[in-house]
Formats: sequence, structure tokens, C-alpha cells
Amino acid sequence: MLDNLSSSLKDALKKLAGKTVVDRAAVDDLVKDLQRALISSDVNVKLVMELSKAIRTRSLEEEPPKGMNVREHVLRIVYQELVRLVWASTEVKLEPQTILMAGLQGSGKTTTTAKLARYFQKKGMKVGVICADTFRPGAFDQISTLCTKINVPCFGNPQEKDALKITREGLAALKEQELIIVDTQGRHALEAELIKEIIDLNVLTKATHRWLVIDAALGQQASEQAKRFHEAIGIDGVIITKMDGTAKGGGAMSAVAETKSGIAFIGSGETIEDLERFDPDGFISRLLGM
Amino acid sequence: IVSEKDLDDALSELELTLLESDVALPATDAIISSVEKNLVGRHRKIGESVDHLVVHALKAALLDVLGQGFDLKAYIAKHERPVKILFTGVNGTGKTTTVAKIGSWLRKEGFTVVIGAGDTYRAGAIEQIAVHAERLGIRVIQHQEGADPSAVLFDTVEYAKAHKIDVVLADTAGRFHNKANLMSQLEKIKRVMKPDLVVYVDEAVAGNDAVTRAFEFDRTVGADAVVLTKADMDSRGGAAISIAHTIGKPLMFLGVGQAYDDIMPFEPATVVEELLEGGA
Ligand SMILES: Nc1nc2c(ncn2[C@@H]2O[C@H](COP(=O)(O)OP(=O)(O)OP(=O)(O)O)[C@@H](O)[C@H]2O)c(=O)[nH]1
Ligand SMILES: Nc1nc2c(ncn2[C@@H]2O[C@H](COP(=O)(O)OP(=O)(O)OP(=O)(O)O)[C@@H](O)[C@H]2O)c(=O)[nH]1
Ligand SMILES: [K+]
Ligand SMILES: [Mg+2]
Ligand SMILES: [Mg+2]
Repeated sequence: MLDNLSSSLKDALKKLAGKTVVDRAAVDDLVKDLQRALISSDVNVKLVMELSKAIRTRSLEEEPPKGMNVREHVLRIVYQELVRLVWASTEVKLEPQTILMAGLQGSGKTTTTAKLARYFQKKGMKVGVICADTFRPGAFDQISTLCTKINVPCFGNPQEKDALKITREGLAALKEQELIIVDTQGRHALEAELIKEIIDLNVLTKATHRWLVIDAALGQQASEQAKRFHEAIGIDGVIITKMDGTAKGGGAMSAVAETKSGIAFIGSGETIEDLERFDPDGFISRLLGM
Repeated sequence: IVSEKDLDDALSELELTLLESDVALPATDAIISSVEKNLVGRHRKIGESVDHLVVHALKAALLDVLGQGFDLKAYIAKHERPVKILFTGVNGTGKTTTVAKIGSWLRKEGFTVVIGAGDTYRAGAIEQIAVHAERLGIRVIQHQEGADPSAVLFDTVEYAKAHKIDVVLADTAGRFHNKANLMSQLEKIKRVMKPDLVVYVDEAVAGNDAVTRAFEFDRTVGADAVVLTKADMDSRGGAAISIAHTIGKPLMFLGVGQAYDDIMPFEPATVVEELLEGGA
């Protein structure tokens, strides 16, 4: 199915190949195929409509640069419009900071917390982790096992039910560390009390970054969920997990558009080392099924 | 008489509704074109609008895709004990929580249950299921982290036989369908514990990948029934349609929250209503 799609997109592009004048019908065909490719990669449907409108208008109105044929011209616009959405690459600085992890249940926050701890540790920083998940059974075992493997101090208390109290204690206990990552329990937009909890955690920690962790397979809900997290704490970076599966990450891209942030990292496996910086070209090619 | 042109507007609106509800593109295409084929050339009743006709036909098509659901109680009643149920799916969809919820549900229905801690891989996985089981007062069979999951689940089945337990619930580690070694580990688990039912767990908020992974899990290790979790995340549950359309297996439960009682036997009519709420 997806193979067909990408080849139909290639066909549409081929139709434009030999042309020197932009042909309206051919552009319309291409836009239609593009819409299908993006929708099947889980880009938000409304966003797809906006994007494709912009691409159509620009393709028809802009003069192709000298020496560029129509096919290259349209393809360039497609790339530009998509890159514009994901480009605002989240800066990752090697300086003292606190990172608050946020996201839906099961998205990969805890695993990614350990991966990030490892990433910054390898860059030579002194890293500490706080387990503010007081809800999920085994949450502290999970993160502390991962932290032990990489020799990163992990503060938590499975008996304590108050995430704020743990975090306050954790900040004090880990004050020697330069970089603190706060792992939180999973929550979603409709859970008002949990949204309030993460607002409070954000205030308490004075977090430098609030990163939203999104499963590459998340569908049309991504925009709505991201919107609520953004309203609550101001998301300044997205991490897309599970990109080693077959999902395309279009939901996560929609979340980036919604929060006007950038993609900080990509999760590409279950081990602590499976974390990559974001590569827009590779991401967009995959999104388009090319 | 209804013509193709009459249907066009109504159908493209419904197509968008389905897509916005996370019904995957191939499933949407197939459903919309079958509705169209069904309606073209049909006679319209006097006073009946095309919109009404189309919505009606679409509902029927969706119900047809979803089928009747899966009655676990009836299944257990008809089968030799212990009934062995293996839970599979990709990472983080809610397998472990679902095992706990179904364990709790079965106990309330009067069955005895044992849980096998078949995720020996992920950090904290054994503790997670053990805490759930302890809270519910359900016996859990576990080995060390890193142990062979087949061996754990074999022991769980032996325990159930020896203690005349009605149902074995086998948790497994999350895995992606494109990892051959992990999928063959699951095949081995299947050979060793010989489950009566393989239950595939995915989440209601999954987008188009729901199709790909359901197809691959069904193809490699099989799936007899499906549980969809996280239906409380305001999702309209299109993944139910995507999966049912792709593998044609019945849905058993919906997960609707993180508490043990947040589980509902699957009702096709409710899902279809939710799905079309936005657009129809
Ligand atoms: N294959 C793969 N698996 C991942 C990746 N990131 C996380 N996982 C797996 O996804 C599952 C869920 O990850 P967790 O880190 O527990 O997710 P979480 O967001 O902390 O979950 P909650 O705390 O329950 O909300 C686990 O099985 C992880 O091993 C990734 O990039 N690739
Ligand atoms: N909101 C909501 N959360 C759920 C539901 N089912 C499970 N969860 C949460 O999702 C997260 C992941 O659930 P798990 O049961 O650990 O998922 P899993 O499939 O066993 O994960 P792995 O074993 O790591 O692959 C946990 O935080 C659960 O509490 C549900 O129906 N609704
Ligand atoms: K997930
Ligand atoms: Mg976690
Ligand atoms: Mg699990």
C-alpha cells in the first residue's frame, strides 16, 4: 500500500519532469498524491489541507529558478514547506539545565529519560534523574535500573504518592549535578488533575526545557494533545520515539507545528544508546514514503 | 435513482471524517468505495436525503467491518481449563495493564486466574506486573530479568494445571513487527506454552501504522482477538476499524483509563456512533 503511494507520488512528479511550463492539472495531481502520502503518514488532516494549498499556490505562482525544471521546482517547494514546519531545530546546549519530560501514557518518557541522561553524560556533563512518576507500578524500578547501568544518580521513592514532594527532595538531593532530568507519569489532555500536576512540576523545577515525548505511531490526536500540553507548560521541543518501527511520525510532526517548537531527538530502539539527533531530510523523505 | 455525482459531496465529507478519526487511509478507501458501489443505482425513498442515505450505508459498512466482538466469558465456559491467553503487541500499547485489568475482570466473573510475567526484558517490567498482581491478589509466576520468557510461561501453565486454575494470562515484552529476532522469540513462546488465544493489544490513538503492525503480527504469530487501549484519550477509535478491516479479527475489550475497572467489553455500535459523531 505505502509502496504504491510513494510510487504514485513519484509518477506524479514524473509527469512534471519534462515540462518547462507549470501545468495546472499536473500540479493538482501531484498535490492530491501528496495529500494521500501525508495523511497515511499521520500528518494532521487539517494541516495537510493547509500545506497542500500553500504548495499548490506557490507551484503555480512562483517562477522556477533559472535552469530548474518544473519537477524540481515543485519538489523543492514541497520540501521547503515541510522543512519550514520541522526545521526550528531545538537547540541542545551543554550547560546547567533542568529538563521536564511530558507526554501521553506509554509514549516512551522513561526510556528516553535514560537515553538523554546517557547522551549528556557522554558529552561530559554531570547528570541526575528524578523519578516524579508516583503512579505507575514499577516506575522507580524501571528508571533506577536504567540509571544504575550508566552510573547516573536517580532520586525517587516508590512509597511516596506526592510527585511534587519527591521532586522538591530530588532537586535538593541532586544539587551537585549540572543537568537534571525529571521523568513524569503519563497523562493526556482530558486528565485535568494530571495536567495541573505537570503545571506545578514545571513551576517547582523552573525547568529550562519542557520536552514532549511522542510515539511515532500517534495519529490524528497528536495535535490536540500537544496543544493542551503546550497551553499547560509551554512545550519547547518534541522527541519522537519508536522510529525504529514502521510508523512515519506525521503525528509528531503535527505536534511540532502545534507547539511551534522543534524536534530535539529521535528514539530509534529500546536500548539506552538508541537516541539520535533529528535529521530533517531523512525525516521528510520517510514521511513522503520516498 | 442515486447517481455517482449525487454521492460525491456526501462521500468526500465522510471520507474526511473517517480520516480525522484515525481510520487508516487504505481502510478508508475500501470502506468509502464499497459504500459507493452499494448505493449507485439504488432507488431513493421519497423525502430521503442523499446525506441520510449515505450515513446509513456507512454505519452499516462500519458495523460489518467491526463484526460482533468477542465474548471471553462464553469462550472460557466452552473450553478445557486452563484457558491460556497470550498477550502481544508493540511497545507501550498497554499489554501489562490490560493483563491486570482482565485478571481483575475475570476474578469478578468468578474465574480463578494466574499471571505469567513473560516480559523478562524491559527494565522494571517484572516489578510492574508483580505489583499489579499483588494488589489484585492474583498469583504471578516470575523468573529473573533476562530469563527465557518461554520458560516462565511454561511454568505458569504448569502451575495452573497443578492448581486447577481457570485462566492463564501471559504478559510479553513489547516488540516491533520488523524485528525478526523478537518475533521469532514470540513464535517460540507460542510453541512452548500453546496458547488457546493470542490477544493482540494496540492503542486507540494509533494512526496508520495500526494497519501495518496488525497485519504483521497476525501474519507471523497470529491473532485471535484484539484489545484496544487508551480509548479515553478523546480518540474516536478509528484504529478499531483499521485493525478489524486489515485482519478481520474480533475486538474483545476497550481500555478506557488506567484503573483496573477501566475496561469495557467491546460494543461495535458504540464505536461507530463515536466515530461518526464529528461529521455526521
Ligand atoms: N523500539 C523502541 N521502543 C521504545 C523506544 N522508546 C521507548 N520504547 C519502548 O516503549 C515502551 C514504553 O516506554 P516507557 O519509557 O516505559 O514509556 P513511558 O512514556 O515512560 O510510559 P508511562 O510512564 O507509562 O507513561 C517500552 O517498552 C520501551 O522499551 C524506541 O525508540 N524504540
Ligand atoms: N489512559 C490510559 N492509559 C493506559 C491504558 N492502558 C494502559 N495505559 C497506560 O499506558 C502505559 C503503558 O502501559 P503498559 O501496560 O505498561 O504497556 P505495555 O504494552 O505493557 O508496555 P511494554 O511492556 O513496555 O511494551 C501505562 O502508563 C499504563 O498505565 C488506558 O486504557 N488508558
Ligand atoms: K504508545
Ligand atoms: Mg514512564
Ligand atoms: Mg508490558
